[in-house]
Amino acid sequence: MKHPSDLLDNPFLVLDIPASATRIEVERAGQKLLAQLAVRVASVMTYRTPGGVQTRDEDKVRAALSALRDPEHRVLHELWANLPPSDEEEESEQPIASWPSAFRSLGWRRPCRE
Amino acid sequence: MDRPLYLGIDLGTTNSAACVFDGEQLQSVRGSGGETLTPSVVRIDARGNIVVGTRAHRFLQKDPENTRAEFKRLMGSKNPQRFAAANLEKTPEELAAQILMSLQKDVEAQLGVKPERAVIAVPALFELPQIKATSEAARLAGFTRIETIQEPVASALASGWSAEECRGAWLVYDLGGGTFDASLLETQEGLLRIIGHDGDNFLGGRDFDLAIVDWLIARIAETAGIKIERSNPAHASAVAKLKVCAEEAKIELSRTASETSIVIEALKVGSSELDLLEQPLSRTDLEAITAPLIERSVKVCERLLRAHGIKQLERIVLVGGPTMMPAVRARLEQSLGAPFGSGLDPMLLVSQGAALFAATAALDARGAAPTAAATGPRVWLQYPAMTPDTSPYVVGRALEPADKVQALRFTRNDEQWQSEWFTLETDGSFAGMLSLKRRGASTFRVETKAADESVTGANPSEITIVHGVSIGEPPLARTIGVARADNAVAVYFERGAPLPIRKSFTLKTVENVSAGADYALRVPIVQGDFPFAHLCRLVGVIQIPSSSLKATLPAGSLVELTLEVDRGGALSAKACLPAQNLVFDHVEQLLAPQTSPEKMAELVHELAQRAATLRGNAFRDGQRSALVTLSDFEATIESVRRDLDAARGGDQDAAEKARRSLIDCDGMLGDLEAANAWPELSARVYEAHTRTMYWLERHGTDPERRALAQAMETVERSMRARNPREIERQLKQMSSIRVTAYLRDPQAWEWELESIADRVQDSTDPIKAQNLLRRGRAAQAAGNRRDVEKAVRELWTLLPAQSDERSLSYNSGVR
Repeated sequence: MKHPSDLLDNPFLVLDIPASATRIEVERAGQKLLAQLAVRVASVMTYRTPGGVQTRDEDKVRAALSALRDPEHRVLHELWANLPPSDEEEESEQPIASWPSAFRSLGWRRPCRE
Repeated sequence: MDRPLYLGIDLGTTNSAACVFDGEQLQSVRGSGGETLTPSVVRIDARGNIVVGTRAHRFLQKDPENTRAEFKRLMGSKNPQRFAAANLEKTPEELAAQILMSLQKDVEAQLGVKPERAVIAVPALFELPQIKATSEAARLAGFTRIETIQEPVASALASGWSAEECRGAWLVYDLGGGTFDASLLETQEGLLRIIGHDGDNFLGGRDFDLAIVDWLIARIAETAGIKIERSNPAHASAVAKLKVCAEEAKIELSRTASETSIVIEALKVGSSELDLLEQPLSRTDLEAITAPLIERSVKVCERLLRAHGIKQLERIVLVGGPTMMPAVRARLEQSLGAPFGSGLDPMLLVSQGAALFAATAALDARGAAPTAAATGPRVWLQYPAMTPDTSPYVVGRALEPADKVQALRFTRNDEQWQSEWFTLETDGSFAGMLSLKRRGASTFRVETKAADESVTGANPSEITIVHGVSIGEPPLARTIGVARADNAVAVYFERGAPLPIRKSFTLKTVENVSAGADYALRVPIVQGDFPFAHLCRLVGVIQIPSSSLKATLPAGSLVELTLEVDRGGALSAKACLPAQNLVFDHVEQLLAPQTSPEKMAELVHELAQRAATLRGNAFRDGQRSALVTLSDFEATIESVRRDLDAARGGDQDAAEKARRSLIDCDGMLGDLEAANAWPELSARVYEAHTRTMYWLERHGTDPERRALAQAMETVERSMRARNPREIERQLKQMSSIRVTAYLRDPQAWEWELESIADRVQDSTDPIKAQNLLRRGRAAQAAGNRRDVEKAVRELWTLLPAQSDERSLSYNSGVR
């Protein structure tokens, strides 16, 4: 299955915070990442998602911050961040995720499958 | 270390103001006469001497030929302002630069520092050319760097800075000299959020003054028998004189008086002259004259509240001179039923907010801010200059060898807090949390520890962070996209997106372009919240001239486009043709388009005819809401007619206002026409839903099913609210879900190949299309689905664009 950008660019994954983060925790995480990207800290230039490792840049962090500042948008992203596996995915066999613990940390019961 | 100096400027239509913020206190900048407001007026005499502000304002009545005001509304348009005595012309940007220079001098006189950087507030509904013109004015005034902030955001920041946390939503009602903005906001955990905004780019104190002028013209005709026409260029000087008197009377009646007298001396109207006119004006008269304008602003507020489902406001913050009018306050209280924010100066709030935003953006007015003498090891530190978080991170990297810096420590200047030693990682970076004093500036001493445990000061030796209400990045005022050849808008940046923003995407050309021909392929960039390109404002064009091509560019060629809007709202773009390895980065930045009053009068006539048809339908079918919209349309078109009269008399601002209002009127009627096609629209929704369900049942995924359910919920809501524009958007969404599922069908590409086969003769390149069709059929016979798909995708790019749609879409050459 091709992972939708809603999942790959999920703001909670971009900011590396749980879906339960408070507003100020969101701001703090964003501010820290923007500063780290500015001083070129290599370890923050990528982030992990159920669909594999993605590149993190300042535009993505700013967009994530903006998305989570709006309660209506945030609800949708929380939904994606906590998405349970679908029946179709349960029947499938090929795991494609490179980071199984990401599923558990996001509340998934088992890895996403193609 | 010196305290920081952040400068905010309210470059207003009528008055301008500057304010500085040092991390703790806001201080308004005063002119040489002690005044906090500088009239946005420029006078140039016969010898070319330039006078600005209060001194120039005195000449508005006496010497209107050589004195200019209200040029802000013309920013970004090609409307030079003439100064007769000196026989020269100045652009609106050059005049705005004079005001900025005057404010710059006032700052220098008061604080001893010539500011080089500032934040300038602009109306929320300013478009890219107007924002660019504001930046240009600042550059002409000698500023090396500026950022812009939307006026309502600035007012909100200033009122949020001084207020305690407010749980519910609050409204900033900003009625300036030339524009009206209404913004819904909330603050939570010190972070300001704009829930939404609305406004009227052409409603302001100036319109109140002109309403009084019209009333005065009628009185003069009655009492003195002199007919003054705003449409007559020969009467422009008399009208300007009346306007100054009208403004003075309005201000007087807004303060204490219940009645005043308008005294006009030596009014020359063509060959007639009126020696002295004394016309009484009561507050009751004033309220009656301006009631329709106040009502217009209240309707905008009600619409904004309705759009966001807000029933009760916590408070209202008033901004702008006209909000001093008791009638405005009474009407707002009656309609919105919320208390007004206290202790806030409506005239200075915008400049205060701009100064606070300068702190958020770390834009010190002194340019390279002087730092305390520092001799220690150099470190590169990143931290927010202003934050709502009392525990922000400081992140950094040592710029010295590892043995010189192994850890950093921060001590707050009140000695009440000290961090632990933040040890550097192997890559030389570190991150640590600081603790700020609430609501004020915290300065931290920075120390480093070397490998030998010796502790020394760092370079920089100190950093300052301000804690207070803050806003993230400046939001984009209006949606930006690319006009496609079918007159649709491919939206790339949604309204409210945080700036700066950058995106790259791929488009396809719709026609063959021969190398060396006298032609250019256009990629029009538009700004606006309409789904059709012709209703949006063209703000830039990238031209791909055929003379630059290495070879003929066939239809369907890829164009990789990168759009970028910086924090100040300036647009840049780059188009790349990968097939020829060519890059085009010149964006033709457009000035506000100009339309002659005659052409606009024709449009008024056309719109009136469309409205008449719609009115007939509305009466026949008993559509109350349509009749209300049509009554709004009538009021707007009436004001357009008045503006066209004034435009014929040489009032360029009125011409610009008429042009914008006509676009709004077109949109208004377009919505009604769409609503009239309601049965057809309902049938389309039903059909789209059924077809989408069909394909989702066969090949859909769960997220797609959820997306369809969500789209249908929105459609139902929009049906109830009779919002055809939103329904069209959702239909598009359904279509994309359906197509995605449909194309998963093993036979989908073969069906597509057959459906396209009939149209290959109409394609932009019939020979190539025939070849592709043959190739597709061969692949089909061989059972090679991937090659069938490839052929179909290429064939799609060869289908022609409709010429009428292309002309509406500013002759876009891409889709």
